[in-house]
Amino acid sequence: MAFDAPAALGSALSPRAMAWYRFSRNRQAWIGAFMVISVIFVALFAPLIAPFPDHAGAVVDFSHRHTPPNLTFPLGTDKVGRDILSRVIFGFRLSLLLVAGVLAIAVPLGAALGLSAAWCGGIIEKCVTGFTNVMLAIPPLVMALAIGNVLEPNLVNAMIAITLVWWTWHARLVYRVAKSVAAEDFIEAARLAGAGHLHILTREILPNCVSVISVKTTLDAAFVILFGATLSFLGLGVKPPTPDLGSMVADARQFLPEQWWEVLGPGLAIVYATLGFNLLGDGLRDMFDVEV
Amino acid sequence: MGNLLDISDLTVSFGAYGRRQHILKDVALSVPEGGRVALIGETGCGKSLTGRAILGTLPDTARIESGRITLRGESVLDMPPKRREALKGTAFSIIMQDPLSSFNPVVRIGRHLDDVMRFADRRMGICASCAERKARIFDVLRKVQLSDPDRIFAAYPAQLSGGMRQRVLIALSLLHQPALLIADEPGTALDVTTQDEIMTLIDRRVCDSGLSFLMITHNLGLVRRMVDEIYVMRHGRIVEHGRTTRLLRRPQAAYTRQLVEAIPPLYGEAVIDRPASTAKPMIELTSVSKTFARRSVFAGRSSHVAVEEVSLSIREGEIFGLAGESGSGKTTLARMIMGVARASSGAITIDGKPVEAGSATARRNRTQLVYQNPGTSLNPKRTVGQTLAVPLAFVGVRGAAAESRIETLLCEVDLPSHSASKFPHELSGGQKQRVAIARALAANPRIIVLDEPTSALDVSVQRNIIQLLTGLRDTLGLTFLFISHDLSLMRNFCGRIAIMLKGKIVETGSPRSVFARPQHPYTRALIAAAPVMSQEEEDLKPQISPKERRRYLVGARA
Repeated sequence: MAFDAPAALGSALSPRAMAWYRFSRNRQAWIGAFMVISVIFVALFAPLIAPFPDHAGAVVDFSHRHTPPNLTFPLGTDKVGRDILSRVIFGFRLSLLLVAGVLAIAVPLGAALGLSAAWCGGIIEKCVTGFTNVMLAIPPLVMALAIGNVLEPNLVNAMIAITLVWWTWHARLVYRVAKSVAAEDFIEAARLAGAGHLHILTREILPNCVSVISVKTTLDAAFVILFGATLSFLGLGVKPPTPDLGSMVADARQFLPEQWWEVLGPGLAIVYATLGFNLLGDGLRDMFDVEV
Repeated sequence: MGNLLDISDLTVSFGAYGRRQHILKDVALSVPEGGRVALIGETGCGKSLTGRAILGTLPDTARIESGRITLRGESVLDMPPKRREALKGTAFSIIMQDPLSSFNPVVRIGRHLDDVMRFADRRMGICASCAERKARIFDVLRKVQLSDPDRIFAAYPAQLSGGMRQRVLIALSLLHQPALLIADEPGTALDVTTQDEIMTLIDRRVCDSGLSFLMITHNLGLVRRMVDEIYVMRHGRIVEHGRTTRLLRRPQAAYTRQLVEAIPPLYGEAVIDRPASTAKPMIELTSVSKTFARRSVFAGRSSHVAVEEVSLSIREGEIFGLAGESGSGKTTLARMIMGVARASSGAITIDGKPVEAGSATARRNRTQLVYQNPGTSLNPKRTVGQTLAVPLAFVGVRGAAAESRIETLLCEVDLPSHSASKFPHELSGGQKQRVAIARALAANPRIIVLDEPTSALDVSVQRNIIQLLTGLRDTLGLTFLFISHDLSLMRNFCGRIAIMLKGKIVETGSPRSVFARPQHPYTRALIAAAPVMSQEEEDLKPQISPKERRRYLVGARA
């Protein structure tokens, strides 16, 4: 049963105020925002926060190897005696760097392709949607493994590998939203008013896609962290001794179950960062009232 | 008392986004046993909410603060939920506004009807077999003049026309002989002629079964023939209440008077005659046709003729009205004149030159369009100033010059100059339409196409917009092509009108002659269906035989 709240209510608040109200009432979104901000903060000031900043490098301290969690080493130490907490803190840095690198390229690229496909139509639309569908048919992990095997395993190449499979989702999403916005009266009105293609794309259609893109990007951050961890777990990520959450879990796996803390620390860190981005993304989705 | 339904001091508040607002304030309303009552008001005044409060289907965010609703002396609000539930469909029934969204598109009509009947049966403790129920449903379908119940029963909602869906909705509400029938804006989404049929049908059903009837609407013309008593609502309060004839003839409250006066008359002394223009022709169409080809993988090619052999000439400075029902090709014709769509055959000349000639700039400068729904024709993410700057930039007006031009434009459409920094959601419907008009004026066009510019607005707002448009035409010397299905509005606003039926123009002439002596039977049917405010006007309408009626009214076929 469709029911519109009386006009008196709608006019009293701007969409922005209503969106903010929805966000502020959402406890999960607040928790997510706190988690994300804490991860970013820790990553930015890693050298100041980590108890043993030098343990992020190639330090060997056999006297403390495999130490269970205690007051000096809250998360214990690994096989060469490095503090796991310090390495996890530096590991956040790498994960966020990966997220920033991948999304900074994949989101604008995907959005640009999706927008142009939706607006231009014809052969461009067919090519972009067709190519996107082909790319979506390739399992992302297989693609990334293939690229990782051809190129040297390092951060930049991991970024390239993930970016190559990531833009497709954004292209699809933006294409769908832009296509429906393009059918609105105000787009034709702008065209009749003499607006150029660039103006319509960037000033009329894009602002109406921003909420969807931002929600998708936040949720994506979580997946990129996970994906990056998977790649380095499989040995296609960063070279040791650079601390990386995925490769830390992989290294520590051989000492299970006796030295459980070596897996637990980086494992929980991955969960924390991923959960934070997911909660925040869900909150934003409620706030903008969009479907992704 | 003799009243079926009594509402007294009903106050309902709405909580949303941390605020609580009173939407209904001390509403008092009563429906006598067998009486017919209307609740009238503009968009958002709370009239639908009143209907919902009676039915007990208020949204979760609403709260009844105080007041009583009694049915035959028994308080509805104090009933246990189960008894209250049992009233739905049996004591109260509602005919919903939108015939399309009221049905689940993947469920057959038969299932819809059967479900309603089965659950109502269960509530009343009746045990009927499937076949019995079907027989009863067929009976009701025949009552709402759906002649082929078998086909309707097996159809999906999308396979029925708007008029047929509305009939099924009426059937749905009549399944259990309710004591009170509530109709929430019945037929508003339909064409005038179909709406007229639906009204006649409801009227007959209400008469035959001796139901009490509560009609919720904004259309004063419809109310006159349907009800005996009217309540006028504004901002959640009842401002006036009285017998229909008295209230429409001598409205007391200032607001009611404003509402009644805002309705353009169809006949009588109050009708305004616009002088016909004698200037040179501005737009000329010679046997213009438009065919839409449909290509499909399975069905091969098929084509649909939207506009067929139309010849017209519109003079400079004229307000030319194009009337017709939805799907008659009015909008396609307008799009061809605008140069947005190309004619399949025939020639269109504007000011003596073919419409395709000249640069894009020249074309924009010539014709502009004002859309039907200002809510969708303005980009929600752009301020009024930004929206108006687009056509100005296109004709080369930028910077400070653009700013002063925007100020002038806003002034021309009677908006304060600070509205330039506002977003569409901060403006009312009428203000949004003013912005849309300002945008059309920005590039100094000579012709403006008005595509039902007032149909999404309330009557009192409609009147102001029409006044504004008339003033603009006089000061700026514009030519208007006015597309509408509201005949009484066209009678007063246009200098010349044309009636379109299935892509063809069936009649052209000055409003005075067309309305006094309509030649084509379709024109007669259209005029006869237009709602009017008084019996005198009703008597002046052209007569139409039932046979002609059946032949030309698209929605009547069932």
